[in-house]
Amino acid sequence: MTALTRRWRAAALLAGVALLLAACGGGSDTPTAEPGGDPNQPVTMTWWHNATADPGKSYYQSIADAYRQAHPNVTIEVQPLQNEQFSTKIPVALQSNDPPDIFQQWGGGQLADQVAAGKVQDLTEASRPWIGTLGPAVNNWQVDGRQYGIPYTFGIVGFWYNKSLFQKAGIGAPPATFEDLLGAVQKLKSAGVAAPIAIGSKDKWPDAFYWDYLALRLCSQDVMQRSATDYNFDDPCWTRAGDMVKQLIDAQPFQKGFLATPAQQGAGSSAGLLANGKAAMELMGHWNPGVMQSLTPDKKVPDGLGWFPFPAVSGGAGNPDAALGGGDGFSCSFKAPPACVDFLKFLVSVDNQKRFGELNIGLPVAEGSETAVADPNLKGLVEFRNQASYIQTYLDVAYATSVGQALNDAIAQQFAGQLDAAGVVEAVKSAAASR
Amino acid sequence: MPGRKHAELALFVGPALVVYSMFVLLPIGLAFWYAMYRWNGIGPLTDFVGLDNYRRALQDPAFLGSIRHNAIIIVLSLTLQLPLALGLAVLLNARLRGRALLRTVVFAPFVLSEVITGVIWLLILQPDGLADRTLQAVGLGGLVQLWLADREIVLYTMFVVITWKYIGFAIILFLAGLQGIPRELAEAAEVDGASKPRVFRHITVPLLGPTIRVWAFLSIIGSLQLFDLIWIMTLGGPANASSTMATYMVDRGFRRYQFGYGSAVAVILFLISFGVSLAYQRLVLRRDTAGALTRMAG
Amino acid sequence: MSALARRATRPSAYALALAVAATVVVPVVYVVLGGFRTTGQVAAQPVALPDPWVFANYEEVLRSGSFWRQVGTSLLIALLATAATVALGAGAAFGLSRYAFRGREALFTYFTLGLLFPVGVGILPLYLLLRQLGLLDNPVGVALPEAAFGLPITIVVLRPFMRAIPGELEDAAAMDGCSRIGFFWRILLPLSAPALVTVSILAFVTSWNAYLLPLLVLNDPGGWTLPLGVANWSTQYTQDTSKILAFTALSMLPALLFFVLAERRIVGGLTGAVKG
Repeated sequence: MTALTRRWRAAALLAGVALLLAACGGGSDTPTAEPGGDPNQPVTMTWWHNATADPGKSYYQSIADAYRQAHPNVTIEVQPLQNEQFSTKIPVALQSNDPPDIFQQWGGGQLADQVAAGKVQDLTEASRPWIGTLGPAVNNWQVDGRQYGIPYTFGIVGFWYNKSLFQKAGIGAPPATFEDLLGAVQKLKSAGVAAPIAIGSKDKWPDAFYWDYLALRLCSQDVMQRSATDYNFDDPCWTRAGDMVKQLIDAQPFQKGFLATPAQQGAGSSAGLLANGKAAMELMGHWNPGVMQSLTPDKKVPDGLGWFPFPAVSGGAGNPDAALGGGDGFSCSFKAPPACVDFLKFLVSVDNQKRFGELNIGLPVAEGSETAVADPNLKGLVEFRNQASYIQTYLDVAYATSVGQALNDAIAQQFAGQLDAAGVVEAVKSAAASR
Repeated sequence: MPGRKHAELALFVGPALVVYSMFVLLPIGLAFWYAMYRWNGIGPLTDFVGLDNYRRALQDPAFLGSIRHNAIIIVLSLTLQLPLALGLAVLLNARLRGRALLRTVVFAPFVLSEVITGVIWLLILQPDGLADRTLQAVGLGGLVQLWLADREIVLYTMFVVITWKYIGFAIILFLAGLQGIPRELAEAAEVDGASKPRVFRHITVPLLGPTIRVWAFLSIIGSLQLFDLIWIMTLGGPANASSTMATYMVDRGFRRYQFGYGSAVAVILFLISFGVSLAYQRLVLRRDTAGALTRMAG
Repeated sequence: MSALARRATRPSAYALALAVAATVVVPVVYVVLGGFRTTGQVAAQPVALPDPWVFANYEEVLRSGSFWRQVGTSLLIALLATAATVALGAGAAFGLSRYAFRGREALFTYFTLGLLFPVGVGILPLYLLLRQLGLLDNPVGVALPEAAFGLPITIVVLRPFMRAIPGELEDAAAMDGCSRIGFFWRILLPLSAPALVTVSILAFVTSWNAYLLPLLVLNDPGGWTLPLGVANWSTQYTQDTSKILAFTALSMLPALLFFVLAERRIVGGLTGAVKG
């Protein structure tokens, strides 16, 4: 039968292609960046970054152009990619034999997976002379003490609040302890504020900020740090964090229908609520003013916007000036030429970082560049960041992706009333066990 | 001349077969293979786990819940979308002025991308959004709900959005089918004294049979594969209340960089769809393939 | 049906049609009107008419070279995919509907397998295959897989329509000296016009809105399709909602135009030929 014969032949073709593809698995030696490189060899590098709009887009283009001027033999092909597209394209690109040379890197557990597969260059030796100028943020881009990425922005999470609504409710100073926070919520409700706290529960990670921070306050620094490597959650502090989360949820501080509210996308997002005076505060990262700015009718950051750090928790083993944070960086893929790490050094030089700070889209890390940050709220934030005794990367980034996402899902379920504090710990334990 | 017949068949069916096998069947085959590994998508395939991924999925209450949600959508689609689409198709088939414009309008949602459909409906369904305001304006304020935040309702809300988006497809399919029914048949029946509903029931619907059965098949399979709209609007939430097998697969499998597990879920989804499809073909579509239809009377 | 419509029920038919149209069209109108406001306005007051009417969004989109390039690329890919889908699908449906051979039903089932599998799963191996074939950053690398994915639904829809063409026509054609192929080309295809148009519309719209495949295959922003182009207006943290709405409203037009041009043919029909 012609049709059937065709089918068998097609099947054989399939099998052949499958075997071929299987044979093309990635290599597993750790590629290392060599410092230097022949300045006369023409080099082309591809650069994938996530600034699809200005001011970031032009800024990065200008960096590529400036580097080209200083090193005429190096051409950089800049490709901005929308942020969500990154998580789809990067694993696929890394699977192939010519991934982008320079690509956006958020560090933590995902970086660890990429390193284990040999897809990222070890930059330790090449960056040793200048890595110290970037501060402790670089830890997030290390695996087993070796440096695999370079950060260019790093911020921390805190409470953004509406000063006039606080005044209206008679709240004198921003809450310093967790009890103060609950009290402030009550006062705001009595003053007629329907949504004391805005939260974008639909995206799940805003829920995780609360749990992560309470764990940070309740668990000792040692327990927190080790959890990212041994995934040990036996310490009772983890369950206590969930208990305190429940306390907050029971106080009903959030906006109506918060389970379906996104964090940043458009009109009804939690950022939008805060921007338009419909909520009094939001626990969010350093990017919030920028987001809020685009959601107001006059495109300006609202007057009377303030910032205060996450309150202390009495009796907690953690330090009240520890912070939860994260940032962006870049890595060199396994095929990148030596010019890659040299380019990264240029990218995070103090001058370029100062220019970055002026753009108001992130917080530069290079020592001496924070003077460029003009916004008073962000200035306060950077100060807190630089003086923090310990900065913990968001847990869903610090942990391997499968565990981090499982944690976020479990916390989101707790916010939806489907899981209790013990259940959250159970969920993350079982996710860790099956990775 | 069997040789000639084979040659003709090869000409007609061959190209489609080759293209299809290469680009569609290959990924399916590979998914069966990935499903037996624990793999984060970045390195080589080294961690063989056999059927463990399948076991994990079938024991996960979240996955079982999503299967239930798919079943609910299927039932709702067949019982609610079919009459709606049929009625609208009949309406849009009649000689109304502005029929072309009406057809375009009704079809427009189908043309909108899933992403924008999600963006728009999110704006409409947010608390005190267009939906709530409209209900209040017509005095039905008591019906206002937290459309997307209430775990009990969110799946049904999504069904409304899905219907809005895909009804156009059903309608053009039925329109094409209606065109195959000669006007003379209906007119002859009326001349014989049949009322409009009787003509519809005894002539139109039976002759539309093959088209309806095709639509039902595509609707069932589409409901099993449902992903885009749910993902964009609710991410399967809140707390898995609106998850489908496909959103579960992307959420637990690919978002968590567990490609082996995700592939296993995809295979389960495929096997369920295959079973349903096979049963449907044997039991329902068979009557349509039993020889060229020469039932056209008159 | 038109005889029935000519009765006194016509006004109620109109009323019903208008009601349905209103319900369906409101969200679409929302998109169009949203483009005439600023993002801040949409955030502060989601439900409101443009006031004042802001033309900057539509202007910016229409003036940007990238928009028109993307329209061109989307159009090219959609037309290629549609042509391939319909050509290959019609041939296969013909073979599967009017020839009798052993294994026919099994072959049909084989073709339906493509419907049963979530598209996103196969993307990684598909990408690697396209790389090996050198089809990355190439419209054909998008159009060909899209055609392949469109085949199952095309064949499923076309087969019953082709089945329904009476055998007498085929016998008559044979008596006139027409070959099977001639019958296919000169009689069956024209008679299947409504169904062909339906599957064309499906293929076109599916390709027009496709996101995942173009995302992975088209790396160079110069070769992007419209769904990828939306990314220009959203960043890691923000989304220029009003621009996106304007962009979307404009992106819809070509696909709607295709539908308008094509839907007339759905009205075509078999009436004359069947009687013969």
